Amino acid sequence: MIRKDAIKVCANLIGNQPIISANGFISRDLFDVSDKDSNFYMIGSMGLASSIGLGIALKKPKKKIFVFDGDGNILMNLGSFVTIGSKLPKNLVHIIFDNESHESTGRQPTSSGKIDISKIAKVVGYSVYKTKSIKNLNHTIKKIQKKSGPILVLIKVSNSKKKSPRIDINPIKIKTRFMEIIN
Amino acid sequence: MNKNTQFQMVDFFVKNGIKDFVGVPDSTLKHFISYLIKKNKIIISTREDEAIGIAAGISISGVSSLVFMQNAGFANSLSTITSLIDLYQIPILFLIGWRGYLKNDAPEHEKIGKIQPKLIKNLELSSRIINDKNWKGGCRWALKKISKNKSCALIIRREFVD
Repeated sequence: MIRKDAIKVCANLIGNQPIISANGFISRDLFDVSDKDSNFYMIGSMGLASSIGLGIALKKPKKKIFVFDGDGNILMNLGSFVTIGSKLPKNLVHIIFDNESHESTGRQPTSSGKIDISKIAKVVGYSVYKTKSIKNLNHTIKKIQKKSGPILVLIKVSNSKKKSPRIDINPIKIKTRFMEIIN
Repeated sequence: MNKNTQFQMVDFFVKNGIKDFVGVPDSTLKHFISYLIKKNKIIISTREDEAIGIAAGISISGVSSLVFMQNAGFANSLSTITSLIDLYQIPILFLIGWRGYLKNDAPEHEKIGKIQPKLIKNLELSSRIINDKNWKGGCRWALKKISKNKSCALIIRREFVD
């Protein structure tokens, strides 16, 4: 499953609910397939998508907050799993698009090919779902909408052949339009 | 800064709308932190950049928070300040303990303690040093900055050695 196709399936099923998407190609793919005011695209500050998502989830307990993360991103801030595990926000859905590499910087390998990130999430208290196919992903995203979190969806993906364009929205605009949606 | 002042600062911030306190503990701020633990208003993160990420999420949700850390952790936070807080203009109130202020502090704090004022200046982060006498004015100044969507830092010198 190509990451961009996986992102498209998730974005369509999530609709207008808030998404915090990690820097690099994850945000670029999301921007390309489904740009919405409810998407908070990160540009830079690698690793922090799940932390920002946690902050929002704690303050907006009635909204489901989705985080689109990468394997390189979460490995850079593994402590975030622990902090999320200590708070156990019911409304947080943490989706990791795992291509076992740092694609943006030239496809260097991450350790997620050797270590199952979802096991770490399970230990700290997430409900964990793993998927490899589009059909199963569709089913999983529909199913978790009714479940209580924190939820981790680990999606094994392959790199895209074509690069998605850069996000051409000013970061301050990304923030203000997102804030109008959630507040 | 003495225990009583640190307790008063917590009460002052809470009274003036700071809802959450996120950060990594520091001995300079230990009374501030222990009081927050007692009041159950604290999120202790694993790293300082993570704390800033959480506080950024809280700020985006329309709620004011404070991020506390020692200056070693401030050094950990530089990229987050430039590529998240500055880039998106997310207002964050930092409270930073100044290790290495005293010449005879532990050796690992010497360099960062020395360059800290320049570092803060180069980041273009407005800051004030607060103590037992001027803390209230400093806190009011910081709250005003945050209300105008500007990030700022309050610095507390570590004036003891243990």
